[in-house]
Amino acid sequence: MESIVLLTLVASALRATTPLLFAALGGLFSERSGIVNIALEGILLFGALAAAVTAYLVESQFPGQPVPWAPWLGVLAAMLTGGLIAWIHAVVSIRYKADQIISGTAINLMAVGIPAVILMGLFDNSTNSAGIRNRLPQWGEGVFQFSPLVYLAFLLVPIVWFVLFRTPFGLRIRAVGEHPHAAGSVGISVQRVRYTAVILSGVLGGLGGAYLSIGNFNHFVAEMAAGRGFIALAALIFGKWHPLGVLGATLLFGAFEAVATSLGGGNILPPSLVESIPFLLTMAVLAGFIGRAVAPKALGDPY
Amino acid sequence: MNERSAIASLGVLGILSLIFAPWAVVNREIGARGTLLLLPDRIFDFTGRTAPFDVQGMLLVLILSLAGFGLLVGSAFIAGRSRYLTWLAAGALLVVATLWGFQQVGAAVDQARIEVVTATVRDAMEDPTPRQDPQALAALLEEMDELTLNEAVAAAGEAGLRIRRLPYSGVGMSLAAALAMGIGILSLFFGLRAFPRASRAVDRFVGAAAVPAISIILALLASGVVILLLQETPVGSGVSLDDPLTWLVGRLDTLWFAYTTLFSDSLGSVGGFMESLKFATPLIFTGLSVAFGFRVGLFNIGAPGQMVLGAIGAAAVGVYLPGPGFIVLPLAVVAAAVMGGLWGALPGWLKARFGANEVINTILLNYIAASMLLFLLTDRPTFAAAAIEIFRMLAVAIPIIVVLLLIPQIRRLAMRAPRVSFAVVGIALLVAMVAVAVPVAADPAVEVRMPFKAPGFEPKSYPLQEGARIAQVPALFGIDLQQSPGVNVVPTNLALLLAPVVALLGVWLAKAVGIVRWPWRIAAGLGLGVVSFLVMALFGLTDVDFAVPPTNLNLSFLIAIAMAVFMQVLLWQTKWGYNLRAVGVSPKAAEYGGASIGGSVIAGMAIAGAFAGLTATHYVLGGALDEYALRQSLPTNDGFDGIAVALLGANNPLGVVLAAFLFGVLKNGGAVLNITYAGLTRDVVTMILALVVLFIAARGFLPERIANPLRRRQEEQASELREPLDPPGKPVRTEEG
Repeated sequence: MESIVLLTLVASALRATTPLLFAALGGLFSERSGIVNIALEGILLFGALAAAVTAYLVESQFPGQPVPWAPWLGVLAAMLTGGLIAWIHAVVSIRYKADQIISGTAINLMAVGIPAVILMGLFDNSTNSAGIRNRLPQWGEGVFQFSPLVYLAFLLVPIVWFVLFRTPFGLRIRAVGEHPHAAGSVGISVQRVRYTAVILSGVLGGLGGAYLSIGNFNHFVAEMAAGRGFIALAALIFGKWHPLGVLGATLLFGAFEAVATSLGGGNILPPSLVESIPFLLTMAVLAGFIGRAVAPKALGDPY
Repeated sequence: MNERSAIASLGVLGILSLIFAPWAVVNREIGARGTLLLLPDRIFDFTGRTAPFDVQGMLLVLILSLAGFGLLVGSAFIAGRSRYLTWLAAGALLVVATLWGFQQVGAAVDQARIEVVTATVRDAMEDPTPRQDPQALAALLEEMDELTLNEAVAAAGEAGLRIRRLPYSGVGMSLAAALAMGIGILSLFFGLRAFPRASRAVDRFVGAAAVPAISIILALLASGVVILLLQETPVGSGVSLDDPLTWLVGRLDTLWFAYTTLFSDSLGSVGGFMESLKFATPLIFTGLSVAFGFRVGLFNIGAPGQMVLGAIGAAAVGVYLPGPGFIVLPLAVVAAAVMGGLWGALPGWLKARFGANEVINTILLNYIAASMLLFLLTDRPTFAAAAIEIFRMLAVAIPIIVVLLLIPQIRRLAMRAPRVSFAVVGIALLVAMVAVAVPVAADPAVEVRMPFKAPGFEPKSYPLQEGARIAQVPALFGIDLQQSPGVNVVPTNLALLLAPVVALLGVWLAKAVGIVRWPWRIAAGLGLGVVSFLVMALFGLTDVDFAVPPTNLNLSFLIAIAMAVFMQVLLWQTKWGYNLRAVGVSPKAAEYGGASIGGSVIAGMAIAGAFAGLTATHYVLGGALDEYALRQSLPTNDGFDGIAVALLGANNPLGVVLAAFLFGVLKNGGAVLNITYAGLTRDVVTMILALVVLFIAARGFLPERIANPLRRRQEEQASELREPLDPPGKPVRTEEG
C-alpha cells in the first residue's frame, strides 16, 4: 500500500517535471546563445492554446468519428506557434536590439490578452476552450502510464546535450553566447545563430504548452502555465545552463510540485500555502544558498 | 522605407480612403448598425430602413480633399523649403474641406430630421390620440420652417406628441473624414518647419511624442486586424453584403465604430471621464513604481505582489486600529506604503547581498503574495496538528536566530563559513521540526479561524471602520448613493474647486518666467488663485448646477498625483535622488563617485514597492472593489499594466500620469465596447497594452531621424550632449550591428 502511494507520487513528479523540462531545455538554447528568454511563460501559454484549439477544430471536422491523429496535429501547431512567438521575441530583441526582458514581458502580457480574445471568438468563453474528444495515447504500465510527450521530454535531454556540446551548431551557439564579437570575427553569423536558437527555444516551449493543455488535460484554461515558465528559467539558472543540471533542477521542482499537490489534498496544510512553496524554494536557490552559477558571458547583451 | 515614399504613400492612402472608406455616419442605430455616406453622394445603408437624403456640396469637398492629398503626394518630389510650404497648403486644404463638408452634413441631417418630425406631426394630426391637441399640432406645422429642431420637438411635446428617439442619431465623422483631418493637421504641423524658429519646437515635440504615438497607432492597427476577424459587420434585416464595396465599407465602419466607442464614453461625458480616472488611478501608482525602478536601473515586475502586500497592510490597519479617522486613515496609507516597500525591498536586498536577479525574484514574489492573499481570505483553513506545532516552533526559533545574528561576535563566526553555518542552522531546524511534530502526528487536523477574514464563504476581509475610508466623489457632494441612486444634480461652488488648480498653475508659471525664490513663486500662485476665484465668482461660477454621476471614483486619485510630484522632486531636486539616478545610468561610475550601489538598489526597490503598495488607497481605502474591504478580486494585473504605462510615459512622472490616463480611457472604453459589440471583450484592451509595450521595446525599427530628431540635430552640431538618462529598453546602437 505504502509503495503504491510512493510510486504514484513519483509518477506525478515526472508529469509535473515534463512542461518545466521542455521550457527549460528551450530556454537553454536561447540563453546559451546570449538571449534572455523571459517570454517562456507566454510561449507555454500560446503553445497550450494552439494545441487545444487546433485539436478541437480538426476533430470537429469529423463529427462522431474517432480522429486519433487530431491531438498530434495540435502538438505540431503548438510547436509552430511557439516558434512563431519566439520569432517575434527574436526580431524585437535581435534585429531591433530591444531590452530582452522588456520584449519578453510584452509577450507575456500578450499571452494574457490574446488567448482571451481568441477564446471569446471561438467558444464565447474568455477563459476556457472546449474539451477535446481524442486524447493522446498513454504509454506504459500501471501507475507509470504517460503521454508520449513525457517520454519525449526526457529523451530530449541527451539530444540537447549532444547538439550543444558535440556538434558545430552547438559550438556556434555557445560561442555566440560567450563572446559574440570573437564569434563574429571568425565568420559566424551571430544574428542567424541567435535567431535559430531563440526559435528553437520557442518550439520546445510550445511542446511544453501542448503537454499542459492536451497532454495532461483536455482543454486550455487561461493562465494555466501558472508561473511554470519562470520556474523553468530559475531551473535553468539552478542547473547552471547545462542539460544535465537542468534535468536535475526540473526534477527537483517537479518533485516539489507533486509533493505540494498531494499535501494540499489532505488536511495537512491549506493548499494556498502549499502552492507557494515551490516559489519560496526557487528564491532560496536563486539567492545562491545552494551553489552559485555563472551565466553565459554575453547574456542579455544585444549584438 | 525612405521619407519620400512615406509621404507619397500617406497621400495615396488618403486618396484611396476618399474613394472607398465611409466619410460620415448619418445614422447609427442601437446594435451598431449604421448608415454611411461616401463622397460625393453614395449612401450605404446597413440598417435597411433609413430614408436617404441629399447632402449638398460634397462633390466640392471631394475635389478639395483630393487636391490636398494630391499636393501631399506631389510634395514628395519637391525638396527643401518648398516642400514644407506645400505641406502647409495641403494641410489647410484638407482641414478646411473636411470642416466645411462636415458642416454640410450636419445641416442636411438637421433638415432631414425636421422633415421626419413634420411627417410625424402630420400623421398625428390625421389620427390624433385623446392626449394630443390637433390645434396645437396644426399651429406647430405652420411654424415649422422657423423653428430649430429642439424647439420643434419641445413644441410637439407640449401638444401631447412625444418624440422619443429622433432618427439620424449618432451623426459623426467616419474613417475618411478623420483621416483627412488627421493628415491635414499633421501636414500643417510639419509644414511649420518652413520657419526656422518653429522648426526647433516641432523637432522637440516630435522627439518627445514620436515613439509613444507611433507605438500606439501600430498597436491599434494590429488589434484592428483582430477586431475585424472577430466581429462581423452588424446589419439590419434584408441588407446584403455581397457587393465587394459594400462589404469593405461595412468592415471599415465596424472598425471605426469599435475604436470611437473605445474613446467616446471617456472623453465625451463627465461620468465616463470620472470612470476613466478611476481606471487610471492604480495605473499611475504601478506606472510610477515600474518607472522608479527603471530610473535606478532595476526592472520591477513585482508590482502585483507589492500591491497585495500594500492592500493587506492598509486593510489590517483600517479594520483593527482603534482611533479617530484623522489618525487611522494616514496610518493606513503609511501601512500600505510600508508593506509594499518591504515586499519590494526584499528582492532588492537579495540582489544587493547575493546578486540574485531581481526580475525573477519579483515574479516569484508575485505568486507568493497571491498565495498569501488567498490564504488570509480563506474561510477556516485546516492544518495538521503537527504543522501547527512546527509553525509555533519556527515562530520562536527564527527571532532567536535573528537576535543571535545581531550580536557581532556570533555573526563574525557564522560568516567565516556561510555555507556551513547555513547547513548547521538548517539541519538543527529540521531536527527540531521532527521533534515537535512526531508527538502530535496522530492528532486530528485543526481548523484555524483567520482573524482577518469576514465570516462566510466570500473571500473578503471585514469592512473598514468609517474613519479609515477615503471619500468617493458623490460623497464629497453630500450625496448618499444608496438613498438617491443615479445622477444627482447638486449646486456646486465650481470656482472654489478650480481656483487651487489655477494657483498650482501660477506656481509653475512663476517658475517658467524665471522667478527663482520659492516665497515669491508661492505668492504668485496664491495671488493668481485668488484673482481667478474672484473672476469666476463674477461670472457666477460659485453656484453651478453640477450633475454628479454615480461614480465610485475616490480621492486616492489626488494621492497618485502627489506621488508623481514626489517622484519628480525626489529624483531631480535632491542629492539622494541624483545618486539613485547615477546608479541607474552607470553603477560603476556612481560607486566611484561615492554612491553605494547596494544601498541604492535596496532603496530603489523599496520606494518602487511603496508606490505599488499605495494602490491600496484606491482598492481598499477608496472602496474601488465595490465595498470598503479587502477582497480577493484585487486586480493585480494592474501591476503588469504598470510596465506598459512606465514605458509609454518614458519613465517620467508626468509621462506616467498621461499614459495612465490614456490607458484608463482605453480600459473604460473596453468595458463600454463589451456592451455594444457582443464578440469583443475588454481583453482587447489588454492586448493593445501588450502590443504598445512590444512596439516601444522595438523602437529600433523607427529611423533615428524620426525617433529622435533632437539628437540628430545635436549630432549635426557636433555637440557631445546626450540624453543624460536613457531608460532601459533603449536600444543600444552599435556600429558593427
